[in-house]
Amino acid sequence: MAGVLTSPNLPLHPPVRKSAPGRRAIPWVPIVLITIALLYLALFLFVPLAAVFYEALRKGATVYWAAISEPDAISAIKLTFIAALIAVPLNLVFGVAAAWAIAKFDFRGKSLLITLIDLPFSVSPVISGLIYVLIFGLQGWLGPWLSEHDVKIIFAVPGIVLATIFVTFPFVARELIPLMQAQGREEEEAAAVLGASGWQTLWYVTLPNVKWGLLYGVILCNARAMGEFGAVSVVSGHIRGETNTLPLHVEILYNEYQFAAAFACASLLALLAVITLVIKTVVEIRYEQREKEFRT
Amino acid sequence: MTIQVLDVCKRFGTYDALSGVNLEIKPGELVALLGPSGSGKTTLLRVIAGLEKPDSGRILFNDEDTTETRVQEREVGFVFQHYALFRHMSIFENVAFGLRVRPRAVRPSEKEINRRVHDLLKLVQIDWLSDRYPHQLSGGQRQRIALARALAIEPKVLLLDEPFGALDAKVRKELRRWLRRLHDEINLTSVFVTHDQEEALEVADRVVVVNNGKIEQVGTPDEVYDHPATPFVYQFLGNVNLFEGRVHNGVADVGGGRILTPEHHGVADTAATAYVRPHDIDIASAAGSDMVEATLNHATRIGSVVRLELSRKDNGALVEVELSRERFEHLNVIAGNLVYFKPRRARVFLAANQDSSAA
Amino acid sequence: MTTGIFTRPHSVLPGFNMALGFTIFYLSLIVLIPLSAAFIKTFTLTWEAFWTTVTAPRVLASYWLTLRTSLLAALINAVFGLLVAWVLVRYKFPGKRVIDALVDLPFALPTAVAGIALTAVYATNGWLGKPLAEMGVKVAFTPLGILVALTFIGLPFVVRTVQPVLEDLEKEMEEAAQSLGASQWQTFQRVIFPTVLPAVVTGFTLAFARALGEYGSVIFIAGNMPMVSEITPLIIITKLEQYDYAGATAVAVVMLVASFLLLLAINTLQWWSRKQRAQESV
Repeated sequence: MAGVLTSPNLPLHPPVRKSAPGRRAIPWVPIVLITIALLYLALFLFVPLAAVFYEALRKGATVYWAAISEPDAISAIKLTFIAALIAVPLNLVFGVAAAWAIAKFDFRGKSLLITLIDLPFSVSPVISGLIYVLIFGLQGWLGPWLSEHDVKIIFAVPGIVLATIFVTFPFVARELIPLMQAQGREEEEAAAVLGASGWQTLWYVTLPNVKWGLLYGVILCNARAMGEFGAVSVVSGHIRGETNTLPLHVEILYNEYQFAAAFACASLLALLAVITLVIKTVVEIRYEQREKEFRT
Repeated sequence: MTIQVLDVCKRFGTYDALSGVNLEIKPGELVALLGPSGSGKTTLLRVIAGLEKPDSGRILFNDEDTTETRVQEREVGFVFQHYALFRHMSIFENVAFGLRVRPRAVRPSEKEINRRVHDLLKLVQIDWLSDRYPHQLSGGQRQRIALARALAIEPKVLLLDEPFGALDAKVRKELRRWLRRLHDEINLTSVFVTHDQEEALEVADRVVVVNNGKIEQVGTPDEVYDHPATPFVYQFLGNVNLFEGRVHNGVADVGGGRILTPEHHGVADTAATAYVRPHDIDIASAAGSDMVEATLNHATRIGSVVRLELSRKDNGALVEVELSRERFEHLNVIAGNLVYFKPRRARVFLAANQDSSAA
Repeated sequence: MTTGIFTRPHSVLPGFNMALGFTIFYLSLIVLIPLSAAFIKTFTLTWEAFWTTVTAPRVLASYWLTLRTSLLAALINAVFGLLVAWVLVRYKFPGKRVIDALVDLPFALPTAVAGIALTAVYATNGWLGKPLAEMGVKVAFTPLGILVALTFIGLPFVVRTVQPVLEDLEKEMEEAAQSLGASQWQTFQRVIFPTVLPAVVTGFTLAFARALGEYGSVIFIAGNMPMVSEITPLIIITKLEQYDYAGATAVAVVMLVASFLLLLAINTLQWWSRKQRAQESV
């Protein structure tokens, strides 16, 4: 019945494609994908996280409390805080200085500098500790001089602090550099024309603009500083009550089969991790809100 | 304040942004630096401000050498193309900034700052928005805040980098006129950069036409428009038709017509080009002496004028003619008809001239 | 006025010399000098001594183990990381915000805590280890356990590099493909996947690099048996405990060279990926 109007090779109707789910069809693809994704995350994230808290509280609240309040645990917590309290501000100042130099000026060797700043990220934690032993250890470069003057760095608190500084070195800088680069130099130039000095410009103009990125970098830096294990393990000497940070204390308890106590202390660190993630999310939400306002 | 730019050169890598620029700006003038993108006009403005250092040459403010003075100390007001308002400070704080960062010895009291800021905001007619933040304002409002902020430090000169570039056409026109009135009121030496010739001609006391890092001409708007010194200036300010030909003893022969060019009366048989504005062309439906034959391609009405596109019979070149509606109707032609045209006024540049000024 | 290899900047903003000077000083003090100590110490070994140390059978076995488990873990993370990123960007479901935040857990959680948690879960009497053991699969204290730990540690990398690329993907591109008759799968395969591929590769390389050096989360679940389940960082620690500083450093240098090469590769990839995104946003 087609007659002369249609070519004999052309189908009368275009092929119907099994395309995107229609309004009434069940969206199979999203459901399957979401399920697989959640399964993967559960296997590797949710279950282990839950296990920490479960194992910690398994033997009851008294055992839990005893584990985290015994003297060695307390001094481990103290040492962890000290290491973070020194490492984070130092790396914060460094991060701001590096980002200022890199983002607001042009100079040759800039990408080399950025790569060098990233170095600690790519170095294994064990090696991060090893190199400080090579310098400050008894057989290290400064070893003889240090023991002459009775200064202990390795197997003492200063070594732990140094190793912590090394492993958390790039965190703040890595957050600030791209952020400040994206923001450009115009506001700083405007401040200069209006007569502001360098410090005034930094304090009143630049830093307020990057405050969320700064906060983000600081909390990540802090989480890593408090949780560092490998590097600190090498430089610490594992002297109970003196040179153990909380992660090291967890290891010792675990190796002595005191599982409940080990997990109890571990749960403190896990709690810290969760709080870090919460703060990070809040910061991101605020940052997104602010960006949306500026899209006018 | 008088500004003198003496032999300034500036390079970026292998690119010469400014080559031997000389300029004098008189006190109280409103000067436009006009040129296409990449001509060096913004670089020149930034060199005057102290945001760039020239490789050679000097800048003098009131006969004092300020080439080595830091931008913080030059007391210039600079308005950036994209405003560069401090995004996390309120409008009030933005304008007050220049006063707040002054060293303690010269800083005005908080009360005084308050008064000055509000006076400035009233001047730019934005006082009612002083507690808002930049992102809550429109482009035109932000630009006025940027201006108020620059004026707050009582600068000796006001420099504006394409101040209206980022705004839409209607706002641009309004702000243009507003800037002119403001300048008449406060009489501060001002220099602004623009690539829009209409803007420069409408607002400025004098226009500096810049191209390829060099100054092509300096003059009042009338001077640069009616008596352009180089082919570049002629082409940049308004539309132009080019007629190739030869000049001999004060007469230019440009493809069928002859034009008297007394300024070249000593010249012997040299190649030259005549530059003719579309509205300086006479057109008729019948042939006449010295008239060139052409076909009318199309006629477009734009408001009260009619723009004609013609194709010359002899070489097919396109010619643009502009005439009033009345005259066009009187002409009584339609597309496809033959017409005859003759330049009424022309500016003839010799070939040598063109080479040195060609873009 | 020059500062070493750096030349005077074209900017009028103040503070360059101070900021750069401090940056280089701190960088040298904390990072460059200590790192060079490893290389300098190694030079005290003769070439033969160095070579014997780093190619001892036990050490070689550890390289192979570390390498293949890291590679495999990074591959798993590449595939599933892309999936997770896709799900987080494209779909809405309850608890998405929480799950999105939890993806960063491996960044925030101390490696030792991760180590003992994973061991507890995957041991033969653990929540997941038990059912797996009944199926004949032993995870803890085998190379498989190492794989699990390294997958945990590298999980966020691919997700976080792919997410922004997916978010920036223009809807119109997909709509154009669909209007031209492409099926969902074809649109994914020909339009979306090529765009996210650089990000996936970058994430993969980051996860791989991280896994290579990982220590804390692995040693609890690994079993640490020489030649079988002993990772290279553990060999370094063992040598240190035996006061064989030169030997430990030699192996460390091998790892450092590998990390530096990877770092270069990562930076190049990130630069390439950024360039591609910039071109596409025209």
